[in-house]
Amino acid sequence: MNKPLAKKFIQSVLADADDAGRMVPPAWPLNATVAVNPYLGQTGEDLARAGARLARAAGEPVTMPRAWYAAKIEAGALTDDDIAAALATVPGTALDAASVRAAVAASEAPPQALSTVADLAAQASGIDWPAIVTDRIGHWAAGWFDQGQALWAAPQGHGAYHAWRSYATHDLSTEIAGLSGFAAFVDAAPQRPDEALAQSSRALGLTEDARPTVFHRLFMTLGGWAQIARWRLWQAELKGGTDSALTEMLAIRLVFEDALLAHYHDDIGELWAETVKAHEAPLVPSDDQVIDMILQEAADRAAQRGLISTVSETHDPAKPERPAVQATFCIDVRSEVFRRALEGLSPEIETIGFAGFFGLPLLHRKFGSVLEETHLPVLLNPGVTSASATSSELTEKEDRVRILARTTRAWGRFKLAAVSSFAFVEAAGPIYVGKLFRDALGLPARAREHDPAPQLDPSLDLAARIDIADTVLRAMSMTSGFGRIVMLAGHGANVVNNAHASALHCGACGGQTGEVSARALAVLLNDPDVRNGVDKKGITIPEDTLFLGALHDTTTDTITLFTQDVKATKHRSGLKQLENWLTSAGQIARGERALRLPRADRESDIAHRSRDWAEVRPEWALAGCKAFIAAPRNRTAGKSLEGRAFLHSYDWKQDSDFGVLELIMTAPVVVASWISLQYYGSTVSPRTFGAGNKLLHNVVGGIGVIEGNGGPPRVGLSWQSVHDGEALAHEPLRLSVMIEAPREAMISVLEKHPGVRDLFDNRWLHLFALDEEGQVAWRYSGDLQWEAVDRPAKPKLTLVAAE
Amino acid sequence: MHALLLLVAPALLIAAAVLAFRGPAFRPAQGPKLAEGAAIAAFAAAVAAALALAAWGPATSPLIGIFGLGLSVRLDLLSVIMLLLVSFVGWVVLRFSATYLDGEDRQGPFTGWMAATLAAVMLLVTSGNLVLLVAAWIGTSYALHQLLLFYPDRAAAQRAGHKKWIVARIGDAGIIGAALLLIWQFGTGDIAGILANASEGGGLAVAAAAMLAVAALFKSAQFPTHGWLTEVMETPTPVSALLHAGVINAGGFLLIRFSDVLVATPGVLAVLVMVGGFTALFAGLVMLTQSAVKHSLAWSTIAQMGFMILQCGLALFPLALLHIVAHSLYKAHAFLATGGAVEQVASIRRPGAVAVPSAVAVGKAFLLAIGIYVLIGFLIGFDGKSPQAIALGAILIFGVAYLIAQGLADAAPSALTLRTGIVSIIAAVSYFALQRASEWLMAGTLAATPAPGPLEWALMVLTVFSFGMVAIAQAMFPNWAYHPAAAGLRVHLNNGLYANAVFDRLIGGWTARKAS
Repeated sequence: MNKPLAKKFIQSVLADADDAGRMVPPAWPLNATVAVNPYLGQTGEDLARAGARLARAAGEPVTMPRAWYAAKIEAGALTDDDIAAALATVPGTALDAASVRAAVAASEAPPQALSTVADLAAQASGIDWPAIVTDRIGHWAAGWFDQGQALWAAPQGHGAYHAWRSYATHDLSTEIAGLSGFAAFVDAAPQRPDEALAQSSRALGLTEDARPTVFHRLFMTLGGWAQIARWRLWQAELKGGTDSALTEMLAIRLVFEDALLAHYHDDIGELWAETVKAHEAPLVPSDDQVIDMILQEAADRAAQRGLISTVSETHDPAKPERPAVQATFCIDVRSEVFRRALEGLSPEIETIGFAGFFGLPLLHRKFGSVLEETHLPVLLNPGVTSASATSSELTEKEDRVRILARTTRAWGRFKLAAVSSFAFVEAAGPIYVGKLFRDALGLPARAREHDPAPQLDPSLDLAARIDIADTVLRAMSMTSGFGRIVMLAGHGANVVNNAHASALHCGACGGQTGEVSARALAVLLNDPDVRNGVDKKGITIPEDTLFLGALHDTTTDTITLFTQDVKATKHRSGLKQLENWLTSAGQIARGERALRLPRADRESDIAHRSRDWAEVRPEWALAGCKAFIAAPRNRTAGKSLEGRAFLHSYDWKQDSDFGVLELIMTAPVVVASWISLQYYGSTVSPRTFGAGNKLLHNVVGGIGVIEGNGGPPRVGLSWQSVHDGEALAHEPLRLSVMIEAPREAMISVLEKHPGVRDLFDNRWLHLFALDEEGQVAWRYSGDLQWEAVDRPAKPKLTLVAAE
Repeated sequence: MHALLLLVAPALLIAAAVLAFRGPAFRPAQGPKLAEGAAIAAFAAAVAAALALAAWGPATSPLIGIFGLGLSVRLDLLSVIMLLLVSFVGWVVLRFSATYLDGEDRQGPFTGWMAATLAAVMLLVTSGNLVLLVAAWIGTSYALHQLLLFYPDRAAAQRAGHKKWIVARIGDAGIIGAALLLIWQFGTGDIAGILANASEGGGLAVAAAAMLAVAALFKSAQFPTHGWLTEVMETPTPVSALLHAGVINAGGFLLIRFSDVLVATPGVLAVLVMVGGFTALFAGLVMLTQSAVKHSLAWSTIAQMGFMILQCGLALFPLALLHIVAHSLYKAHAFLATGGAVEQVASIRRPGAVAVPSAVAVGKAFLLAIGIYVLIGFLIGFDGKSPQAIALGAILIFGVAYLIAQGLADAAPSALTLRTGIVSIIAAVSYFALQRASEWLMAGTLAATPAPGPLEWALMVLTVFSFGMVAIAQAMFPNWAYHPAAAGLRVHLNNGLYANAVFDRLIGGWTARKAS
């Protein structure tokens, strides 16, 4: 009955599907998740155009409600100058300050997405088809993506579409809900996903011009499922391959549209044709969307004023002859509070900021595990493998640990299997009195034994290890002036009963804690042969310098030192001193953080929160982040950045070919942009780019959360993670990146990396250059141009507090 | 008069509820703390009631009412055990909620309704008179409904709530009908009086028992009325914990409370065996296919309630009570700890592939399990055990066989075989000991298991056979479950055999609501 599909047509539909799929941000599974820029597919356009696109595809705004800006204007934080400056960033606009101010006073119409066939069918029939389609796809997808929750796993089939087709031809639910003949319809659909895409597109009358945003619209209805499929593509492409789950998900969704249109054609055929026409219209931002962009730019600039004056304060901390301790932390904003507290204790302490994977792209096997897990930024491929058990003695111990884990797992299956679950309840149910007691009171669990020190496995030859050490030290701008103890502190959160625990760990370590990376680097740098080698390359590490791995627990601000990894006979007193300092700094840092946390009146309230299984706000993580500063630490030392700035130590004078600058701008800055924009998206658009209400979270497949009973997985931050119940804990601003380096050097990095340039040119990030005195002197104005920054007339002493 | 001690616990929670409703809705400083304190005090009062029971024996409080109808409470082992359970679980969920709901706009009313639900359940389990029993039954349902619709704007919450409402009203009709028939038959609403004379019941008592069964089956989400229970994750987690560890037990409690009436009606017991047994197996299999942790737990509850009702049908009331208590403790914890599901799934992947036992290994495992059973039987003694209890023991030992089988898989190292073997023996000994203790404790309070007639024998054989088959299928699982022929079965089970889809269709569950 159908004309055969032309190969060229199939190709072109598939290409459109692939392009539309890339509009969707990837979602890393929750077992090792990282923040992702929800606008990743829109960084090639500015906020207004992205706003027009997401309005059409999802009915979602990309900025705050007007009232939020109005309140800032009312409070005097956002001034006429800010609006004027923001207007100047939109060349050729007909808008002026008066029209912007008038728009702020009026309330905007919420964006409306174009209808899907399911939406139209619901209006025509009174049956909630969008919800049913979501429910049906969700039932199948939960099984297909499941990583081990269900004991009876769903068949994987030959790919997503094939597996779904097999499911849908058996499933009677859709027909019971009112779409008679659906199973037969699916059975008659093409067996190949690309042909299904093409056939449904043709049946739906999708023209070439309509397809991009129709497809994007349908991807957005798939929510987290599409995002997890996008992640599979990301992973495959990183390894040089590809993955078709994403476009196959679209094929599945299109078959539903196709079937619904066939069923309700008489009622909605015309409406659908009109909708397709609307999709064909080019995307042009409305005046309102341009005004939204201008207001956001103005709000960013208003907040930058305080930041610029803080950074520009003159401050010259005393520098010791040789520091007793050099403490290296991750650039994560949570380290800033602790670093400031620690430095305040003694001039003999110096701190350094560097990406928390410490430059080691590790693929690591935990003690007792057979899985190799990546500990590196998700932009990179692993380059080094390591393991916690490499000696024969340890292997024996590891076997015992594994048997124990397998017995526990067998018990877990006994608990869940069909008949044995009854025996389990009657044999073991009463044990749960104890568990309820322990968890209700948040009694400290038995301390977890730390894994043995990670070793490279297989070990690399000396030359390769020397190369790694040399590269990492130069990237940290650490080529001289080594202290007696160099503490390398990775970080991780210490929370219980939290589906998003890995999101609180180290983003630069791919959602793992930084423990393995820090310990592995310390082991490497303590090796005398490696030190000899780097000495020959011009980095002399004194013989009495000790590298020491550590783990900064960001929830409780305590630091674990891995002294068991090192021979520290000559450093006993130094270590004792360090421990004391860390204890004091922890108290100070907790005291500062307690002020921001609800139900924490004092420093001592913090520890219990990390063990409380009911706590939905154990820490604020990176909420409030708004700046990224790459400069020598003395530019920012002694100034409170309120735990809102990423601090990367960087001395461009040691960076002869600006290789480190390029690395910073293409890796840590990009990771920071993902974090900042995730917070931004989850705040301005919580329905689409937020994970919803934590109280309703229902973990699906071990990899995501759905909200309540159904719907697609929710990706991003929970509302509780950006809001304290009374006010936003995160002010939605785009990150201000400040780098002390020659402007030309930065321009050449931007020229070389168009993806990074897009972020700045389209204002997803702001870029500033610090001058020789550490003053914020230049603002990047786009198009590889700079403009001078007006010096604040009178340096203010504190940041303008966030609302 | 000492029975009145039972009233302290619900009175405290009612007071806490009133204070919570009167206090601020947002960030109430006192309400949640007072409610937690009330639950602790209620637990202490339950302990005091237990001591009073030990000292002065069972009793019914004086009646407030006329013609044997009205309000009174019954102090006996059943009510004390249930009160201890409810107040303990109540403390856990109230304490959890105090932190969990911080920052919610309606934390005050939430606390109020939670305390009110707990008070209603406490009154239900301590009722000495049918009038109070019926009132508490309906009150529990009403208060819980407020919690299930804590987010009234959620369409899915409305859909589930609507189904729950219909099922609950049929359950209400069942218990009201049962109460009227019992009053008619026995001329009193006094529960102890009815139980004492239950053996003399006539045709009306049979009808009453049937109505009790209807009420229990609808309350405890038995097939095909289970759909709502799998959908009420639309409300904060502690409500699920309270529901699955407290409220859902009401059906089973009702059957246990009226065990004396039920043992006189073999036909009704047979229905309970069939519905409970089918629900247990059906829901147990559906659970295997669920990929969301709360859905998996909900199906688990349906299955466990089915098993408990099967126990009631076999007239093994002390064991059903043990099941209620053990399941409540487990399920309260399991729900509150669902945030750990991500880590759990990750940790089962780390030790490598699961070793799959062959048919021979499964056979060995079943023989070993039966061997353990016989051995324990000789040690603890089969004598004095009813055939029903022995049959049930066989079903449970099939479960242990599954554990043994995992250790016997060819790919399993001997150290694993040894460990799973030890754990299996501990599990087997533990539950036979617990069952023994439960039977000993409840003897005299609950009806004894009657000697089986032909109907009972037939049902027992059917039950042991069907559970045995499912147990074998389960142990052999990976060998057949991924065969293409099983794909359709998995889809149908994944959707709970469409009972819920049909229910939705009948009541217009998917009606489009005004665009929000």
